[in-house]
Amino acid sequence: MISCDDLSVTLPGANGPVNILSGVHLRVAKGEFVSVLGTSGSGKTTLLRVLGGLQSATGGRITCDGVDIAGPPDGVVTVFQDYAHSLLPWRTVRRNVALGIEKLDKTERDSRVDEALAMVGLSERDGEYPWRLSGGMQQRVQIARALAMRPRVLLMDEPFGALDAMTKASLQDQLQQVAELTGTTVVFVTHDVEEAVYLSDRLVVLSGSPANIGLSLDVPLPRPRDQIATKERADYLELRHEVYAALGHKVGERASG
Amino acid sequence: MRGTPVRGLIPLVVLLVLWEVLGDPASPYFPPPSTWVDGVSPLVESDRLLPAIGDTSLTFVLGLFIATVLGSLVGTLVGASRPVDRALSPSLEFLRALPAASLVPVAALVLGYTAQMKLVVVVLPAMWPILLTCRSARRSLSPVLLDTPRTLGLSGWDRMTKVLTPALLPAVLLGVRVAAPLALIITLLVEIVTRVNGLGAALGAAQSSFLSAQVYGLLTIAGVLGFVVNWVVTRAETAVSRRMRGTT
Ligand SMILES: Nc1ncnc2c1ncn2[C@@H]1O[C@H](COP(=O)(O)OP(=O)(O)OP(=O)(O)O)[C@@H](O)[C@H]1O
Ligand SMILES: [Mg+2]
Repeated sequence: MISCDDLSVTLPGANGPVNILSGVHLRVAKGEFVSVLGTSGSGKTTLLRVLGGLQSATGGRITCDGVDIAGPPDGVVTVFQDYAHSLLPWRTVRRNVALGIEKLDKTERDSRVDEALAMVGLSERDGEYPWRLSGGMQQRVQIARALAMRPRVLLMDEPFGALDAMTKASLQDQLQQVAELTGTTVVFVTHDVEEAVYLSDRLVVLSGSPANIGLSLDVPLPRPRDQIATKERADYLELRHEVYAALGHKVGERASG
Repeated sequence: MRGTPVRGLIPLVVLLVLWEVLGDPASPYFPPPSTWVDGVSPLVESDRLLPAIGDTSLTFVLGLFIATVLGSLVGTLVGASRPVDRALSPSLEFLRALPAASLVPVAALVLGYTAQMKLVVVVLPAMWPILLTCRSARRSLSPVLLDTPRTLGLSGWDRMTKVLTPALLPAVLLGVRVAAPLALIITLLVEIVTRVNGLGAALGAAQSSFLSAQVYGLLTIAGVLGFVVNWVVTRAETAVSRRMRGTT
């Protein structure tokens, strides 16, 4: 589906060009849910922008379904970390969600928007302007806008970072459901280890400078997953442990106790 | 808020009333307001006042419109790219420093005493405020806002009309708000200097024939025109920026 070989990205920095990613190999199969973990500034957003065709790579080969990526491919939609700047303040929630599907006829468009808004639990707020909503709600509008596109591949950059634990859990489960139901491929950037293990089929850790993939780990937990049952499983805890170790964290009493 | 412009005019009204009461109707320099109407009426009778107002308004509106289009296009292009900005900035700074009045002889030399000449002289200085606000707005536009329509598969045209233009509109209007009074002043100035049609030309003619009451009458008309223009662009700018920036 999406693959990159020996990807490297150099961006202009204050003191000349900076090599941000180097030698990144990543293969994401159709329908797979892959999380990308990494500390702040490790290049997660940069990697996602390259995969989404928003940033050209300096070296290596990136393809989507065998076609070289030059510009955002059809059906590959990015959900941005910076939701506040991604919503158009002059459009209502409904019209923001419709932004990518305005070519469709009105009935189809309306039903897709309604469906997408229902999925993120914002049906009641569709007439509102985004700046009247809380940060978490704004992020849900952005997710709804991506879902309304019925994407083949969803690239999500820390989409739940701004949410409270309750909403986060419920959206995680909704995302799981949607992804499974529609067979959507998801590349999910996060720095929340629990979230990555809980959601993914596989997770990769970006590390080093310039960054490359330091750890790639399969997550063979059975699906559908459940916030309580799955997180109590021994293999879940073990995977979590492993990822923390790879990230160089000390795992405290919480994990062992 | 809404009462302010009217209430703010009170000192001016008081001044005019004092002038009327204390002024000498025969004064060649300061004829009181009541004589102004009589002073202007020959222009009305000979059907010259409305065409003059029309000429001035046409030059002003057209000049401001062209300045808006050019200013926002160039401003957006320059603001979008650092290299372009660096390459063009010195030339732009130089052109900006050129006083509007000094354009008149050159424009008259090239285009003669024509309406086009007036337009050129109005457009160039009126363009700057719009160019500058657009440039800085385009520079500070969030890259995420530009990535959004791309990832949603919008065409180049849709990206421009649905995202870029609305995002820059408040800046354009802010520039227009500054440029509009400037354009009107320059329009009148060019007309006074070159005597090519319009209120300014009428003012100049009245002055050189010592029709002082007519001068003041025309001045009042020009003042009202300026006031209306200012009011309209200010209201438009406030309304649009409120809606586009998403603040209350
Ligand atoms: N447009 C840019 N131009 C130059 N350098 C950039 C640009 N964007 C990011 N960088 C640099 O690239 C590096 C990686 O940034 P990136 O945004 O990909 O990190 P991240 O892993 O997403 O971090 P976070 O978790 O904080 O979002 C950083 O050192 C950053 O300074
Ligand atoms: Mg990031």
